[in-house]
Amino acid sequence: MTECEKSQASEYIWQTTPPSLPAVPRFQSTMRESMCVRHVALGNRKSLLRGISAGGLCLVWALFGQMVQLMAQSTNQNAALAATDFETHVAPLLTKRCVECHQGANPSGGLLLTSRAGLVQGGDSGAAVDPQNPAASYLLERIMSGEMPPEIQGRSQALPDLEIKLIRQWIEGGVKWPADRKLDYFERTNDVRGGRDWWSLQPVVRPPVPLLKDKPQPDNPIDAFIRAALDEQGITPAPRADRRTLIRRLYYDLIGLPPSEAVISAFENDKDPEAWENLVDRLLQMPHYGERWARYWLDLARYADTSGYERDQEKPFAWKYRDWVVQAFNSDMPYNQFIIEQLAGDEIENRSEQSVIATGFLRLGTWNDEPNDRLDYQYERLEDLVHTTSSAFFGLTVKCARCHSHKFDAITQEDYYRMASAFWAGPLLTDGKQLGGPTAELLGFEEVLGWTDTGPKPKPLHLLKNGERDQPLDEVIPASLSSIPSLQRTFDSAPEGANTSHRRRQLAEWIADPKHPLTSRVLVNRLWQHHFGKAIVRTPNNFGFLADPPTHRDLLDWLAAEFDAGGRRMKAIHRLILTSQTWQQGTLHPRSSDLEKHDSTNRLWWRAERRRLDAETLRDALLAVTGEIDLKVGGVGFKATINPEALEGLSRKSTAWQASPAELQNRRSLYMYLKRGLLPPMMTTFDLSEPTLSCGQRDVTIVPTQALTLLNNRFVHDRSEHLAAVIRESAVGVAEQVRLAWNSVLQREPNAVELQRSIEHLAMQARAFSEPVGDAPSDENRELILQRTAAALVLRLMAANAVTSDGERHLVESVPDLSGHEHHATQAVSAARPTLVSDGIGGKPALHFEGTGQFMKLAGQVVSEQYCTMIGVVCDGNRSGHRTLLSNWNGRAGNSTSSLFLGLTAERTVRFSDAFGSAGEVSDRTKPFLLTAVNGSESATVFQNGRLLKSANQLLPRRLDTPWVMGQQGNINGEFWTGNVAEIRVYNRALSNLELRLVEKQLADQYGITLSTGEPPQPADNQTLALASLCHVLMNSNEFLFID
Amino acid sequence: MNRKRHFPCGQTRREAVWKMGCGFTGIALADLLARESFFASSASAQEAHLSNPLAAKKGQLEPRAKSCIFLTMNGAPSQVDTFDYKPELEKYAGKQLPADKTYINSGGRKVGFLTPAWRPFRPGGESGLLVSDYFPKVRKHADKLCVLNSCHTDSHAHGSALVAMNTGKTQIGRPSLGSWAVYGLGTENESLPGYVVMLDKRGGPISGQPNWASGFMPATYSGTLFRPSGDPILDLNGPSHISRKAQREQLDLLAELNQKHLEDRRGGRDLAARIDSYELAYRMQSATPEAVDLSDETSETLDMYGVGKQPTDEYGRNCLIARRLVERGVRFIQLYSGGGHLEETWDAHAGIESNHGQHAPEVDQPIAALLTDLERRSLLDDTLVIWGGEFGRMPFSEGKNAPGRNHNPYGFSMWMAGGGVRGGMNYGQTDELGFEAVENKVHLHDLHATILHIMGLDHELLTYFHQGRQESLTDVHGHVVHDILA
Repeated sequence: MTECEKSQASEYIWQTTPPSLPAVPRFQSTMRESMCVRHVALGNRKSLLRGISAGGLCLVWALFGQMVQLMAQSTNQNAALAATDFETHVAPLLTKRCVECHQGANPSGGLLLTSRAGLVQGGDSGAAVDPQNPAASYLLERIMSGEMPPEIQGRSQALPDLEIKLIRQWIEGGVKWPADRKLDYFERTNDVRGGRDWWSLQPVVRPPVPLLKDKPQPDNPIDAFIRAALDEQGITPAPRADRRTLIRRLYYDLIGLPPSEAVISAFENDKDPEAWENLVDRLLQMPHYGERWARYWLDLARYADTSGYERDQEKPFAWKYRDWVVQAFNSDMPYNQFIIEQLAGDEIENRSEQSVIATGFLRLGTWNDEPNDRLDYQYERLEDLVHTTSSAFFGLTVKCARCHSHKFDAITQEDYYRMASAFWAGPLLTDGKQLGGPTAELLGFEEVLGWTDTGPKPKPLHLLKNGERDQPLDEVIPASLSSIPSLQRTFDSAPEGANTSHRRRQLAEWIADPKHPLTSRVLVNRLWQHHFGKAIVRTPNNFGFLADPPTHRDLLDWLAAEFDAGGRRMKAIHRLILTSQTWQQGTLHPRSSDLEKHDSTNRLWWRAERRRLDAETLRDALLAVTGEIDLKVGGVGFKATINPEALEGLSRKSTAWQASPAELQNRRSLYMYLKRGLLPPMMTTFDLSEPTLSCGQRDVTIVPTQALTLLNNRFVHDRSEHLAAVIRESAVGVAEQVRLAWNSVLQREPNAVELQRSIEHLAMQARAFSEPVGDAPSDENRELILQRTAAALVLRLMAANAVTSDGERHLVESVPDLSGHEHHATQAVSAARPTLVSDGIGGKPALHFEGTGQFMKLAGQVVSEQYCTMIGVVCDGNRSGHRTLLSNWNGRAGNSTSSLFLGLTAERTVRFSDAFGSAGEVSDRTKPFLLTAVNGSESATVFQNGRLLKSANQLLPRRLDTPWVMGQQGNINGEFWTGNVAEIRVYNRALSNLELRLVEKQLADQYGITLSTGEPPQPADNQTLALASLCHVLMNSNEFLFID
Repeated sequence: MNRKRHFPCGQTRREAVWKMGCGFTGIALADLLARESFFASSASAQEAHLSNPLAAKKGQLEPRAKSCIFLTMNGAPSQVDTFDYKPELEKYAGKQLPADKTYINSGGRKVGFLTPAWRPFRPGGESGLLVSDYFPKVRKHADKLCVLNSCHTDSHAHGSALVAMNTGKTQIGRPSLGSWAVYGLGTENESLPGYVVMLDKRGGPISGQPNWASGFMPATYSGTLFRPSGDPILDLNGPSHISRKAQREQLDLLAELNQKHLEDRRGGRDLAARIDSYELAYRMQSATPEAVDLSDETSETLDMYGVGKQPTDEYGRNCLIARRLVERGVRFIQLYSGGGHLEETWDAHAGIESNHGQHAPEVDQPIAALLTDLERRSLLDDTLVIWGGEFGRMPFSEGKNAPGRNHNPYGFSMWMAGGGVRGGMNYGQTDELGFEAVENKVHLHDLHATILHIMGLDHELLTYFHQGRQESLTDVHGHVVHDILA
């Protein structure tokens, strides 16, 4: 789900070096070796070419690159022939080709190739070199035969002739190798891997701000860096965006909400020269700033509210961590504190409930309460902790070194375990009750999802051969990574009397060290990324060898230095960026078509990036433009209303998801409860990050399911209908209504054409809404519709057909189902039988229920679909207490929460299952009436005599496959119906309003019931719906979804 | 930055395009496209092709099957009662498992006594392949079945084992088999999802969504849940007052507004892609319900699948819809039998006879009908059908005279049919008790490698670059089981 860590081939046309060779198409490539396999790929040219099949142009590119490569090689060749120098020629070759296996305590074949001594000593097969007869050296023999380096997955890694020649010359020249010179796998970067000299591992040195030639020097140093590079290419940046564009962009950027039209106008007319700066400051002071920016961090922290897996248990109080992050951003917490509290908030001197809440960072991973092997599983958890910490805070993929040293970066396998040792002291092996964390007692706080060590002296952690638990090697000494030698330190043992190992604190302090080369670079890169849509290093969680190279390394370093100088506070960097001309550029450039060809990925930042709203901002914007948004900050999250269809993916359908009450549904998306087994579909459709792994950059996709969601989802319709209703209340004229719609949704006036077209739309839609499913269908149509409804009929019981057991009391023994589905009603016990009254309702027979235990059982499963319609022709006996007309039962008492039933409450209100427990109040209930209940995809609705009583969210999924009864609430063997029932109909789908009206009309005529002429059943009139349609279109527009 | 040029691991421009989320219908992710100056300058025809990377495409190998139907028996059927005949169990009935056989006792359940098959096995077809009486109708297709008797997996717990069967690893968060298939091959019908999952009405599998999610790939490669009636997918239709005509007017107005917006922002591929996505969505609204509408099927066909009859109606419908989806070019279809928990699934702790006696008749006739139907429509050669659960069950009971069996990840049976797989054969063996795979073992990675191979994908080469690593379905494992291929 994430686009984290995509490394782009760098390609700017004007670079002075030759254009880069495209890496092999992933798909056809022979890339297996580049994964965690035994050997590193050696950039085999043949395999490269083999890998290219489809895509002729790719082939051309590859060939071009090949030529470049060959040219480079020929240069080398000349040098090689002149003299073979160990440091220039041999050391890099051995390091690149041989040392990965022939190093360390257990070198391959017993041959150590990191020192002259090792080479001279030879390996298991004897001497490696023979100075007497160099040509016969075993090492040379193995290399020349192509056996070394060994093949990978059946593919030869044989050295090119040139390299073989170099080795031979070197051996012939007496194997010159300075005595104290030890080769180190990661000592320097070569063309297959990064070394400790990799750029991002070097200290941040504040670069001078470039001085522009022949141009006024920009006030903002960011602009100087960007302009300097643009000037070199003869490009001028895009013109500044207009004020309206800027303020919208700023609002979405900083607080994730649109400005109102009034706010925009005020800003457009603000004459204060500091207007922009003031606006930026004002937004930075809003609590919504933290809400917006915390979400980016939550992606990195793989935030979710549950554990995942079978039981997907809630992570209790995870939301407190979320609030802590929001608060950290809002209070401009120094970044070092932010780091230390999340990794070691339980180990610091001024430990507090808040600092322990921060350690929730370490609790947010997925957690399986039933792993195959608990001992193995603790290593999985270690990987999660190492990976999340290293990705989020310093942008290295340390997890890749779990089974072997990193293939591409200067991270040894030992480094992995050194870092892992910081987490080893934690409750990795806890049982189910603690949900993978420490006890509250150990933590020192109740109701906190935090992390702490189980004691000050953890059991030893061993390096594992190939990462396998049953192959332990040496015990690991807890320490920082060796990747940055100047900062390397071993971790001290816990101080006297400490409760924890203090390793995490030392790890956190190492990360927060002002000299750490990655910490500030990684963070300012993230800030840049979220302000601009793309980062300077476009693989924000990976600054290693496979990272995308920075677009402006000097700028990155300058920002990092600036961040450090300011005490590592983020708001200063926000201000700096937002006041730059670079950020304020327009998305359009007069030379766009030309520049797109040269720098389509905008690496030179010659224009602003247009951005699609992300999932949260989209939902928030929909709520904001209708004025419905609830801006309450913090606290327990809410569970969003989710289509019942989507709930079918859950193993416990009926109980697994209970949406929060309607009044909480309009909160900001940040507060949406995230269940790993059921992420809200609307959000994932718009690329919500998948919360398993730390995510530094979300995907931005454009797919038709998004169109379906915005076109059809009830949530969006609720917004447009609400907005339409509000506008209709405040504006009378059609033109004014249209203007308000545009102002609200797009925060601007429609132009004349747009206004005219919108008015047309209103007219067309109003007409359309009155037409197709509208009133007064022709007789022919009526017949067709009734036939259609008949096809969905699954139960029809008519008292007129009842079979009675005796002539005296007319006890009803059975009532046949006329639907053809054979759900016949029967009652074997005579005391429980209703009686048949001949003049029950409208002169027609009815079953009479005394309310003293009479009911009838129905055969089979009456309703098989969640969406259904029930209609009863009844009158009420006016007794107190709940009484149920039709119900299924789920076997035992207390399961009414999952059964489907229709009845009345003691308060004369209708009940349509417990989820819709107060479905409107019936009037004149002792008189015969039609009681209709519909559960549809949009809503659950109840009618009396065709009059809408109440409408609510659709019912939560019901369990339908249990026995059905008429005249009581089956689950509790009680709540008996009192009164008469002349007919009951059940349809296996939600009938449309028109269908309902026709069916009800039929029944009303039959039983002499007058349908209510009161409110129309439709929730809104056609004019309002037409206006809603316009709002809906605007909410679907590109102008709404994309921010310039 | 030349050093990475010929290094084969970094993401390539091509890869960027591959990875563009192109969901089940494949609209360009213009943001990514725009990074590619290569594409920016290429001919528009090529752009059109590239802007739809989930258009059907070739794998690295000659495909044997174009589509795959995975019949997932959620909860894990017992191999010794269905497809793995173990006469020795008769001999050792009532005895305990030999002490040298160690295992994880899932759920701390009682360890009982070796128990023979609950229903007899009989030979089927010309091959005489042995299938028990739980599957009398599938048995008639014995000559089409390649039964893998030596499957084994990495977890004894339903949640993680099913996730492993679907994604290759017991940890959640990785792309599922179907996601890899549509990532590698696209889909043949852009108006339908490429990867469809149909669940049992009793509920979803435990662990839920991660079983068909796309993990670290864009969400658009994830499985789409299909309902067998009404609106098959979420948000397919709006409120009832918006007729097709009214919606057309909405879309017309929207297109006008978007077109004007685009004119002011020339070259906005993201904007153009989104305009197209609305038209595609509009088409899907009719294509998707059509795919599940069985009204044009003959009564003979409906009867054959057991539609309209119990207990076959639900799975029969799903199997029939699966055939219709295959006909319409859907790449990967997964049909769950069993949903929710325990006895609602194949999880026969309480009793093999009571459990399998309930579930097998729900699926036996529909599966047999599916095989017949695919064959007579000449679809079977191009369609790989796979049957199996997330693991198997123990050859012993859960106590004295207890009728159920506990989980068994060490040895279980799955079968394949169609798609160039040899029929009428057993491959691999469990030990004489049916406890663990001993001969020609097929780990789930091998199974995945083989399925991808049959579909024309090399499991080693089908990779996705994520967080510094080329990820694949089988990771560094997996061998194609060539012996089962015709």
